[in-house]
Amino acid sequence: MHLKNKILHIGLPEDNKLWENLKNGDEKAFSTLFKNYYNSLVQYGNTFSPFSEKIQDCVQDVFTDIWVYRNNLSDSVVVKSYLLSSVRKRIMRLHQKERIFNQLTPIDEVVFLFDFSIEHQLISDELTAGRVAHLNKLLNILPPRQKRALYLRYYHGLNVEQIAETLDMNYQSANNLLHRALVNIRKEWNRDLISA
Amino acid sequence: MSFTIGNVYLKMKERNQYTEIEDFLSDKSFQLWVKSKEDLDGWEEWTLEYPYRAKLVEEARLWQLAMKVPDNNLTDEQIEKALHKTWIKIEQREEKQDFKNNRLWKNNLLRKIAVVFIFSLLSWYTFNYYIISKVEYNSNYEKAISNDSDGLIEQINNSNKPQIITLSDGSSILLQPKSKLSYPNVFKGNIRKVYLSGEAFFEITKNKKKPFFVIANEIVTKVVGTSFRIKANVHKSDVEVLVRTGKVMVYSKEKRKNDCENKIILFPNQAFRFIDEDKSFNKITDITLDESISKMKGNIEQLSFDFTDIPVGQIFKTIEQAYSVEIDYPKEKLKNCHLTASLNDLPLPEKLKIICKSIANNCSYTMNGNQITIISEGCY
Repeated sequence: MHLKNKILHIGLPEDNKLWENLKNGDEKAFSTLFKNYYNSLVQYGNTFSPFSEKIQDCVQDVFTDIWVYRNNLSDSVVVKSYLLSSVRKRIMRLHQKERIFNQLTPIDEVVFLFDFSIEHQLISDELTAGRVAHLNKLLNILPPRQKRALYLRYYHGLNVEQIAETLDMNYQSANNLLHRALVNIRKEWNRDLISA
Repeated sequence: MSFTIGNVYLKMKERNQYTEIEDFLSDKSFQLWVKSKEDLDGWEEWTLEYPYRAKLVEEARLWQLAMKVPDNNLTDEQIEKALHKTWIKIEQREEKQDFKNNRLWKNNLLRKIAVVFIFSLLSWYTFNYYIISKVEYNSNYEKAISNDSDGLIEQINNSNKPQIITLSDGSSILLQPKSKLSYPNVFKGNIRKVYLSGEAFFEITKNKKKPFFVIANEIVTKVVGTSFRIKANVHKSDVEVLVRTGKVMVYSKEKRKNDCENKIILFPNQAFRFIDEDKSFNKITDITLDESISKMKGNIEQLSFDFTDIPVGQIFKTIEQAYSVEIDYPKEKLKNCHLTASLNDLPLPEKLKIICKSIANNCSYTMNGNQITIISEGCY
């Protein structure tokens, strides 16, 4: 599998402009950035913990830090993956402090809180419905980390490099993670297809 | 117009190279088409161009249908509220930082003052304790021995183990570390007198005609023949006495107005304490209640020297532990020797003499500092 660098939803070029203005103390830039990303960051946070109030708090704290320490911000960031990564780190710290799950493994390895679901309304024939249901099942039995990688790739539109940064792993590991997820499903799915 | 065409052209060029379903899945425009049938980029037309594309597109579509992510999107209003909350957090944080900055400066100054103050207190205390005390350190003991006309031998224990001293009358004294004992080579006249600085355990041979005196700081301990421990504080003039066996009389060196008050007689397991500061003279009858005195007991007071058919090796071991000595004896030859003897309360030389006598006629021993050597050919 080779994920070429297509025109993906890497993040709008406006992001960089907003980031630069924010660093210079532009409050409006901050607010715009906030409004653009708040929702997707909260969605991302929700994959870790069901306590949505806490998640929103976390995301707000991330933005608070960004403003208060804006002088220390780096110039060359991909804003989106930086934000996602910050949210993840903050949640992990919170998790360690509060031991919500009483685990020692990092939370993103253990938890991916929801299952993928099916776009029922877009399916009209039974054959399709069956195949989609099967594929959906296979997707949901993936280990949390692989699910998370798929989610970041296809819901948040991150490329491999950005996934690596968000999950705090190196490029190769992120690549392998995605690869494994997709290959394993395809193997199962194709096998069943053939036998069917 | 041209912009749009340009875009479409770009898109078509890119997606012409799509070979994997993943390529489609990450294409926002494709996603949109599957989800809402909005075909801004002519996907349907593109798919129909080549047969192989249809299969790929169909599979990609299935994947997308199976990978729906729950949509808990926040409303714009909720986002506005969150933004407002965030600005408030920022304000609070900035306030806290300003406050902390001020506090820090004042703190810094206060801290410096505190450090200097504490440091000077410590230096004063240390000076007082070590230097000044050292000057007074030996005053009691030194004064006492300098007043003694007889030639005295002084033994100083600078090691970290007790040292055994044998006196000319056969008494043994176990001198603790950091302690000094001055005694005459031979006891002349009708008294036996020694001077102590620090702590020692005494086992005095019985001699009613020649009472034994220990002078420690201000306190004089008189015995006829017993075993007891004296602890004379080196830096202060406090003294503690703990009696193991026999009868011990304790009194103050200085003559006081009322002599009766200052003479105390102690019996086994009784103790005495003199505190220089308030000149208190106290007999302690229940030593278990007195923490400092009960801790005073060394190995020697806690070991029993009542042996019933015990192998001689074990007896030697007990002596080694009690007196911090090393006994070298012919293990093979004495392997099967057992003894029954009650050696409590006897000074070390006495103990050794009795053991030797019980072993065999030709048994003898030599004592060199804390090294004891037993010579014997075997036992009866």
